[in-house]
Order: sequence, then C-alpha cells, then structure tokens
Amino acid sequence: MAKKIPSISKINELFQNKEMKPSELFEQVYETASYTESVLHAHLELFYDEGLKLSKESDNRYSKNESFGLLDGIPIAIKDNINVYGYKTTCSSKMLSNYVSPYDATVISSLKKAGTIFTGKTNLDEFAMGSSTENSAYGPTKNPWNPDFVPGGSSGGSAAVVSAGSAVASLGSDTGGSIRQPASFCGVVGFKPTYGTVSRYGLIAFASSLDQIGPITNTVDDTRIIFNEIQGYDSKDATSITPEYTKLENKKIKVGILKELMQEGVSKESQNEVNKVVTLLKEKGHDVTEISLPLTEMALSVYYLIAPAECSANLSRFDGVRYGIREDASTSYEMMNKTRSVGFGEEVKKRILLGTYALSAGYFDEYYGRALKVRSKIISDFKTAFDKVDFILSPTTPTPAFGFGDKTKNPLEMYLSDLCTIPANLAGLPAISVPTGLSENNLPLSVQIMGKPCSDYSLIDFAESIEEMVEFNFSPNLLKEKNES
Amino acid sequence: MSENFNIDDVSNLASIELSEDEKAKLQKDLQIILEHVDALKNIDVKDEKIDIHPLSKVLELRKDESKESLKHEDAMMNSPETKDGHFVVPPSIE
Repeated sequence: MAKKIPSISKINELFQNKEMKPSELFEQVYETASYTESVLHAHLELFYDEGLKLSKESDNRYSKNESFGLLDGIPIAIKDNINVYGYKTTCSSKMLSNYVSPYDATVISSLKKAGTIFTGKTNLDEFAMGSSTENSAYGPTKNPWNPDFVPGGSSGGSAAVVSAGSAVASLGSDTGGSIRQPASFCGVVGFKPTYGTVSRYGLIAFASSLDQIGPITNTVDDTRIIFNEIQGYDSKDATSITPEYTKLENKKIKVGILKELMQEGVSKESQNEVNKVVTLLKEKGHDVTEISLPLTEMALSVYYLIAPAECSANLSRFDGVRYGIREDASTSYEMMNKTRSVGFGEEVKKRILLGTYALSAGYFDEYYGRALKVRSKIISDFKTAFDKVDFILSPTTPTPAFGFGDKTKNPLEMYLSDLCTIPANLAGLPAISVPTGLSENNLPLSVQIMGKPCSDYSLIDFAESIEEMVEFNFSPNLLKEKNES
Repeated sequence: MSENFNIDDVSNLASIELSEDEKAKLQKDLQIILEHVDALKNIDVKDEKIDIHPLSKVLELRKDESKESLKHEDAMMNSPETKDGHFVVPPSIE
C-alpha cells in the first residue's frame, strides 16, 4: 500500500531508532513505482538491483550506528539529463538513446558520498526544452493529481515521482522554471538555487548561463537537506562560485509583491494564492509592499533569444561522431545533417534554428547582443529592488496544470507558462516554489519566493515559515486510489 | 529583422536536414517567436554592459596541472564507430 512519505528528517529518525530499514523504504518506494509507473510514465529507468544492494549496505551502517548522515539510505530520483556512471543519460532524446554515462556528475558524487540511493532516471522534455514533458521522445509523463493533465516540465518526471511517492525526493534542472513549474503543477516543493552555487558538471548543457540543478521535495526542510549536500564550489565548473551566504537577522521580513506578475496573463486563481499568503504574512507582522519591475515583461523575449543561442552552441556537439546515434551517409557533412535531423525532435530543432539565427552574422548584435544587454538591465533592476525588500513573492505559474495538447498549437502559449519563473534565471537568483492550495478543478497551486543572490538558506527558512502558515496537506488522487485499492 | 528569416539558410547553418513539412511548420512557429522578441528593439540599451555570468563572476581557468581524468577507452565508448583509439567518420571530401 502506498503511504505518504515522511520527511527526510523523520525517516532518518526511524532509521536511527531501528524502526525502519533503508532497504524496507526502498522496497516501499519501488512497490509504489511499480503501481504508479503504469499510469504516470515518470521514470525512464528504475535502478532496482543496485538500489536494493546499496540500501542493504545502508542497513548495515545504521545497525552499527555508522550512518553517513541525514541522506544515508534516502531514495532519490534523478532527472535523465544528469550523468550517473554506468547508466544511460538519454535527455529524453532519440539522439542519446544509446548513451551510457562514463562518469558521475558532481551532484551525483556528492549524493553517493552521503549514502543516497538512486531510484532511477526520470522523464523530461527533450534536452530540458519544454514545459509539459510532451516533448519527450519516449512519451509524456502524466500528472499524479489527474492523468489528463501535464505534470509540467521540463523536470515533469522528477516532480511526478515525488508527488506520487515513488521517490522521497528528486533532482531536476531549471533553465527557465523547469524545477519550479512542474513542482507547482504536482503540488511539491521545487528549488532553483543561486546560479553557480551548485555545480553543473555532468549536467548535459542546454543554456549554460541559465541552467541550475536543484531539488524537488515533499517539504521545504527536505530541500534544505539536499541543497546542503549538493551546493559548494567545484573547479570542474568554470561558472561555479564560492558562496558567501547571507543571513537575515531581522525577524520582521520585508516582502515585495511583483506587480507585473499580478496582472493580465496570470489567472485570478494563481493571484489569489499570493493574496492568501500576503494576508497570513501580515498577520505574522511582516511588512508587505507592492513593487514594480517593468522590464520583467521583457523577460520572456530575452530568454527566448539567450536560451536558444546557448542551446544552438551546446547542442552542436551532437554530430554522430563521439556519442549518440549516427545515420549512414557517404560524407561526414551529410552524416551530420541526417543524424541531427533524425536525432532531434521538433522543439529542439526549433530552438537550435532560432539560436543559430540569433547568433548569425548580421543579426548577432540586434538579437543576442541586445538580449544580453536587456538581461543586464533586468539584473540591475532586481539589485535595486532587493535594496528595499528581503524577498519577492509571486505566483509560480500563471495557471494550474493544463491538459495534454492544450498549448502545443502556438509556441508562445507554451512559453508563457514560464512567465513567472524566467526572471529568476535571467538574474541568477535563488527561487523556490511552495504549494499553497488547490484550484477549482483540484489541481495544485503554488507561490514562488525569490531572494537576492546567495540568500538561499534564508530564502529556504522563509519558505518554510510560509509552508507552516498555509498547511498544504492534500495528496494526489493517484495515491488515494492506490490506498483504496 | 524577423522578415529576413530564411529557413533554408538557417537549417544549413545549423546542419539540420528538414523535410518540406518541417520547414513549413518551423518557419511559421519561428516567425511568431521572432515577432514577439522584436519588442526588445524598443528598449534603450545604449551604453549598457553585458553580464556573461549573472553574478558578474570572472570565469576562471583551472591550474595547468596534470590530474586523473576520463580514461581514453571510456571517452570513446559511446562513439558509433572507432578504430585503434580514434573516431571513424565517413570521408570529409567528396
């Protein structure tokens, strides 16, 4: 029977008190996965044999009181664009259908040292490009709250497995909202750390100046525990920083409500969640004011030049020579053209073409160069805003989860589902999505909190206080159905 | 700017062969996106600097030290075709 999974701290307590063994928990989540996967298609691969073996090693450590810490024996799922040694990393693309990781990503090495057990690899939009998992070459993932709706994306599989209880937590990657948006659609917590605090080494690059790895969890405390393990400087990532985290001494928090994300284009339902939290914050004595950052309205345009430009450069490595599939042809040039034609799906091709155009001679300054300059202005605007407020509150998504096929006709409609999350990526800010309520049709809704760079821990503390205030205690229908069966 | 977009030129630059159906669909979608991003033309960016790293960090190179790295055979293992430790490709010159 599927049980609601306790928090990581609680699980660790059960392990320490010998009330549960890591191998028993692993069997529990695997049993849940074997039920939920037939509906959800959230995992692309399950690591049962190795997971069971490693969880038994963890059993031994706990029996001798020699555990590695809070994450020892915790089953975590990994988005399939993060390299785990010896397993496939397909990026949900036909291009990498046969690619086996020859090394571990830095985040994977860190979690292995902490004794974490990997449940498997999770589904995503191809090369993390999308907001629904409908772009996966292996078929979409369904939302555990209602399988007629998308789980969000691109880390849709990672969000769905946590929501469905087939992993305690997961890792995703967030380039324009790919952790926070699916976390919101699936009613779980999603955190994009400050750019540079978590190594990108071993993450298959999409847009290098925007990509960040982060956790998707059931509770904000679980996010804190995983972030604590994966953050830190890594010389293998040239953009990695040595974080000097800021602390908030003041108990009275100054919160800004971003006007541009509380107007037309964002549903009343999503706005109401922010208003609900504002009321609770004011009751606790916090200072809430409206702020305006007019250039955030340009964020989508900036993003859809910078991200495709970087993607076109990063994905040029997939040429049928060093890895991935190859199409037969009589010349190298023809082989590369055919391989890339067959290997990439429509959305990936679209973004590569857009980026190639934006970087091409004659258009570079007017597209890519201009977008980078507007990005700098957005960064500067956020700096000014954070002189006045500690955190910025907004909806995570303009609407709750949408139905399959609802936004595939016009690319802008799909892109607009990342309207609220993209600004944090452009400015490198930490941002977290916390579930707060349900929509009219019983789908989760969330708020997003953004902080200044390197305020990650105080942002997490503040998010935890919101989590306590809103008391989101709902479970997806899939778990209820399983419990009743 | 967006009216100058030519799908044949760009797919050639990106080394992606496209079918006629794909060309028609992608041309239409990309035109929609390019018209949307054209809004950036109205923003004054004169004298604006460019941040490559969002936190303005100067990118560092590692020290030039020999360290254990990926083994040669591991680096080659995902290639569609290798011979004697080299990648094999079709002829480059017709």
